[in-house]
Amino acid sequence: MSKRTLFAALVLSSALSTGALSTTALAADPAVYKIGGIFAMTGASPHYGKVMSAGAQLAVDEINAQGGIDGIKLQLVIEDHKSGSAQAAVAGMNRLIDVEGVKAVLPSFSTVTLATMPIGDQKKVMMINGGGVSAQTVGTSPYMFNIRSMASDLAAGIAHRAAEQGAKKLAQIAIKSEFGDATIAATTKAWEGMGLKMVAAEQFQADAANIDTQVAKLRASQPDAIANWPTTPQAGLAVKRMRELGMKQPVYCMEWTAEDTKVAGKHAEGVEVVTDYFAATEENPWSKRFADAYKAKFGEMPDFYAANYYEGVYVIAELIRRAKAKGGDYYSGERLVQALWENPTFDSVYGKTLTFRKNGVAQKPVAVFRLENGEQKFVKFTTGE
Amino acid sequence: MDLLIQLTLNGLFNGAHFALLAMGFALIFGTTGVVHFAYGPVYAVGAYAIWALAALVGLPFWLAVLLGIAFTAALGVGCYLFIYRPFEISGSPPFVVLVASLGLFIVMKNLIGIVFGTGVKTVDSVAYDVHFVGDAFFTTVQVGQVAAALLVGCGIALFLRASRYGKAIRAMADNREMATVIGIDTTRLSMLVFALGSAVSAVAGALVLLRDGLNPNMGFGAVFVAFVAVIVGGVGSLRGAVIAAFLLAFVQSLGMWQIPTEWQNTIVFVVLFGFLLARPSGIVRRA
Repeated sequence: MSKRTLFAALVLSSALSTGALSTTALAADPAVYKIGGIFAMTGASPHYGKVMSAGAQLAVDEINAQGGIDGIKLQLVIEDHKSGSAQAAVAGMNRLIDVEGVKAVLPSFSTVTLATMPIGDQKKVMMINGGGVSAQTVGTSPYMFNIRSMASDLAAGIAHRAAEQGAKKLAQIAIKSEFGDATIAATTKAWEGMGLKMVAAEQFQADAANIDTQVAKLRASQPDAIANWPTTPQAGLAVKRMRELGMKQPVYCMEWTAEDTKVAGKHAEGVEVVTDYFAATEENPWSKRFADAYKAKFGEMPDFYAANYYEGVYVIAELIRRAKAKGGDYYSGERLVQALWENPTFDSVYGKTLTFRKNGVAQKPVAVFRLENGEQKFVKFTTGE
Repeated sequence: MDLLIQLTLNGLFNGAHFALLAMGFALIFGTTGVVHFAYGPVYAVGAYAIWALAALVGLPFWLAVLLGIAFTAALGVGCYLFIYRPFEISGSPPFVVLVASLGLFIVMKNLIGIVFGTGVKTVDSVAYDVHFVGDAFFTTVQVGQVAAALLVGCGIALFLRASRYGKAIRAMADNREMATVIGIDTTRLSMLVFALGSAVSAVAGALVLLRDGLNPNMGFGAVFVAFVAVIVGGVGSLRGAVIAAFLLAFVQSLGMWQIPTEWQNTIVFVVLFGFLLARPSGIVRRA
């Protein structure tokens, strides 16, 4: 080997090793931990995007105010799925991973979660869903986790609640979507599993404002109770229509927001909501602190969606912390998932702790709320499994 | 049987709403040839303006509606003068105007969200009654929709038949070039039909505000139904558009009697395809 060749080889190996080292250093400690959020910022149901992104951003801000994770800040990068556009969601997911370099994503909506899940699985990016309820998101990818109760859990809770109130015949109304289909199927299974009769299941398009035909068919089926599955704002519209038509049956929902209360107006009174139980109480200081901070920043009390995505960011931050403590090239989806299964229990803003079950779904307390004077009043806990 | 009566009533009321939308769209499209897709967001902006005047400013609802109609008419004229007219002057092909219309649709729809927020808007100050005929029901607002469709329809028909401007509009709709040759000011007439068509959409918007509330996406469904009604009814025929609007509403409603309601929107497309295949010129063929 000539001196010139030797010199070149030394320079090259030095450059490679330096590069390799700096690559390792970069991989080990990014300048910022970017967390992706795929939310409904526009489209038919932007209320969800507003509260979910607000909850997640608040968590990011709080963690950053405390110095981030060992001095490295978090950053929430939001992509808009336009209230359920799978195409927009897939484009957003790819951008989050390929351009922003996120290792963890918070998807929302069943359709969106299902559309982006294969990408997360293929590119080994952790996903924590706090909005969609489709059972199809369960157990199909090692990178997919749900931080809220699934449709099957809530449907079972509602079926039990309706049955204990004396209903024998149930009718359902839902949007024609993955969420609607999943919920109708889960409720039918739970209801008929108790030997009771399902008398109607009507569906409509997500952007429909006029649902008179669907409601007329519900009414004609003469149910004892109605399971109202549309999301905001159609959940409120459906209740308004039903009540205007003189339908006095108990109405049960698993999705109900302040928007629905506004749309339904006085007709919202008495509607029951069976869903994840989030309540800011003195007994649970974190929930109180979160609710106060949320109200101070956004001017309204947080709902459980805001709580779920707030909590989702905290779970991801904790996983990064745990993975980093183990050393090595810790900042990857694989390492985050590994850190989760090493200890699937986390502090919960809902109170005490949450634990991810083997199917990747975190068990949450499910409760019945009744709408009284526009507010959701806690009634009781119910069977959520 | 009760369900059938209810679905028939629903068809009638929804048909009235569709007819109002279709009349405004048909007037603009049939006269100027502009496929004014931004008609949807213009209708939405009109409804939001009425909401703002009633809920934010606190005007009586009837006054808010009158001012909202005037505002929407002006907005329609603005669309024509600032968006479509420059293309007309430059002799741009129709598809360029179509693309401009779609662009305007998106811009206006997003502006609604930015200006008014993305939440649902309702008016609480106006109460309405629910009436029952046997087991079937209807609301005062729905009666208002039928009455408005009748009044507006008769008013436009009378205007087109009896007034000087109406006759000029009909002449322009028949043959724009000939109308220009005989001295009709087609620019002024275009402004007039954009004003009239947009004002009609505001009437529909005011009633929907009471019935369902408003959201920034409401314009798409409106212009979609209006467009289908105009095509099925026969381009250039106001009567055809109204007949088609009621036909679509009855198909949407009665068609669900024995089939699942999830197929409701699909049925509109089936009707559209069926008519395009069987009767490309629509229900009412123009001479």
